[in-house]
Amino acid sequence: MRAFWPIFKRELFAFFVTPLAWVLIATFLLVQGMHFFLLVDHFSRTSDLAGDETPMSAFFGNTVLLYLVLFVLVPPMTMRLFAEERRSGTVETLMTAPVSSAAVVLAKYAAALTTYVAMWLPTGLYLVILARTGTLDWHAAASAYTGVLLVGSGYLSVGLCASALTRSQFLAMVWTALILLVLFILGVGEFVTREGTAMHEVCAYVSVWAHMNDFASGIVDSRRLVFYGTLTVLPLFIATRAVDAWRWA
Amino acid sequence: MISVSHLTRRYGNQIAVDDVSFEIGKGEVVGFLGPNGAGKSTTLRVLAGFLSPSAGTVAIAGHDVVEDSFEARRCVGYMPESVPLYPEMRVVEYLRFRAELKRVPRARRATWIDDAMVKAGVIAVAHRRIGHLSKGYRQRVGLADAIVARPPIVVLDEPTAGLDPNQIREARALVRELGREHTVVLSTHILSEVEACATRVLLIHRGKLLAQGPTEDIRSMRASAAIDVVVHGDSDAAKGALEKVAGVASVTPSGAGLMVRLRVRFEETLVDLERATATERCVAAVVGAGVGVREVRPAGGSLEEVFASLTGDERAAGGDS
Repeated sequence: MRAFWPIFKRELFAFFVTPLAWVLIATFLLVQGMHFFLLVDHFSRTSDLAGDETPMSAFFGNTVLLYLVLFVLVPPMTMRLFAEERRSGTVETLMTAPVSSAAVVLAKYAAALTTYVAMWLPTGLYLVILARTGTLDWHAAASAYTGVLLVGSGYLSVGLCASALTRSQFLAMVWTALILLVLFILGVGEFVTREGTAMHEVCAYVSVWAHMNDFASGIVDSRRLVFYGTLTVLPLFIATRAVDAWRWA
Repeated sequence: MISVSHLTRRYGNQIAVDDVSFEIGKGEVVGFLGPNGAGKSTTLRVLAGFLSPSAGTVAIAGHDVVEDSFEARRCVGYMPESVPLYPEMRVVEYLRFRAELKRVPRARRATWIDDAMVKAGVIAVAHRRIGHLSKGYRQRVGLADAIVARPPIVVLDEPTAGLDPNQIREARALVRELGREHTVVLSTHILSEVEACATRVLLIHRGKLLAQGPTEDIRSMRASAAIDVVVHGDSDAAKGALEKVAGVASVTPSGAGLMVRLRVRFEETLVDLERATATERCVAAVVGAGVGVREVRPAGGSLEEVFASLTGDERAAGGDS
């Protein structure tokens, strides 16, 4: 595990030295900024609207914008993690150093997750703005960011796994986007299938949409924690085994 | 230092290395010689711990590459054939990363990195981005990486591939220099390269180990299998005279007209010095026949011919058993 730290540092460096990183982050903040502006604008006009809907809960829940952004951002963030090293051959120098597959996978994953968190960090300003102009439910805000972190952990893990399973960055990107999209659509099935059926249960269990709505209104359900824990750990495990298997290919 | 026994490596159904065994001792500079696709890179990748053997055992400084892969990898500094590097990093940044990855103690890191950069001759480009470096410098950065953690064994896959003649000379000098402190294993498909760097040669062909021995043996194999004599004048007379020389097995003319090249093969029983004196007798005979000698040079020493003779021998040996 001592290899974790140098690889983690290098990955972060490699990501932020590319123009891709800055384009992704700028796009993300632009979209989120517009989203936030429109929401606040909307709520300020319809202040007589009662109910539990707030700019906060609408920013994170009941919006397709969050997922659209993640579907577009996560695949390019994770596609190069392994595919690039295998294409350029640097995987050969990396894996002949005294490193364990687990350390390599975890370091790369941690770097991607750190980038993801760094991407969301500036949106904390919105909370500050809201808190200054009105009252903010800090509990719900914390829960919403927990949701964002959990969804991101799962998505990035899927992306990393796809990158470990192919030599082509492009394929890794396409596969990641496809898997995430299928997962999302399966979740939407919750509203289509009849209540009480097994399919409905499955759809509800994986419904990222419904989960984020819960998180946005301050509900942290332990079943969600288990689901995202699995969605994070399983792909990471598969990726570790894939990295191990390269020696035997 | 390195002990390989019955190593076999397959890619799917294709056998890249087939039942190869050898030992490499401390302080040796060993060259793997063979045509492209012979299995050199695969063997070196197994030594470096990038690939696991399909069958057989490989021990690096006593550590098995499968059971004790971690320790085995710590003992080897490896430079892959294409010298893959991270183009976005600066040379010194890259070496810092590699040194940390290879667990060079923090207190010694700066000294060892400087040392490796001096030895590999990249100190002048320490703060340049790797992506902006020439092929020659990239090769040296790869070398610096291989030695930065001061491993007892250095494995270099085709260390002079893609370099210009000057750089090749420098790279060879560097390899010889490395041989003083490390056990060096390198691969090449160029015969003269192995002669210039290595103390021992392992000949690999189609995944099999054909022969191994001190570099001098390979050199003599190449130097005296035959000679080419270019004569000016009556080539038939020259041929007749040459065939009468003691020790000559056959004379084959090629070309027509005034200048004819005669390939003179010596009898296989002749040893080094006898071949040299036979060469002198050949020249005297041609001159004695009143024919001019334009050129005399050793022939039959190309890698292909050495391989042809070795594979021929092998077939003969196989036929006996």
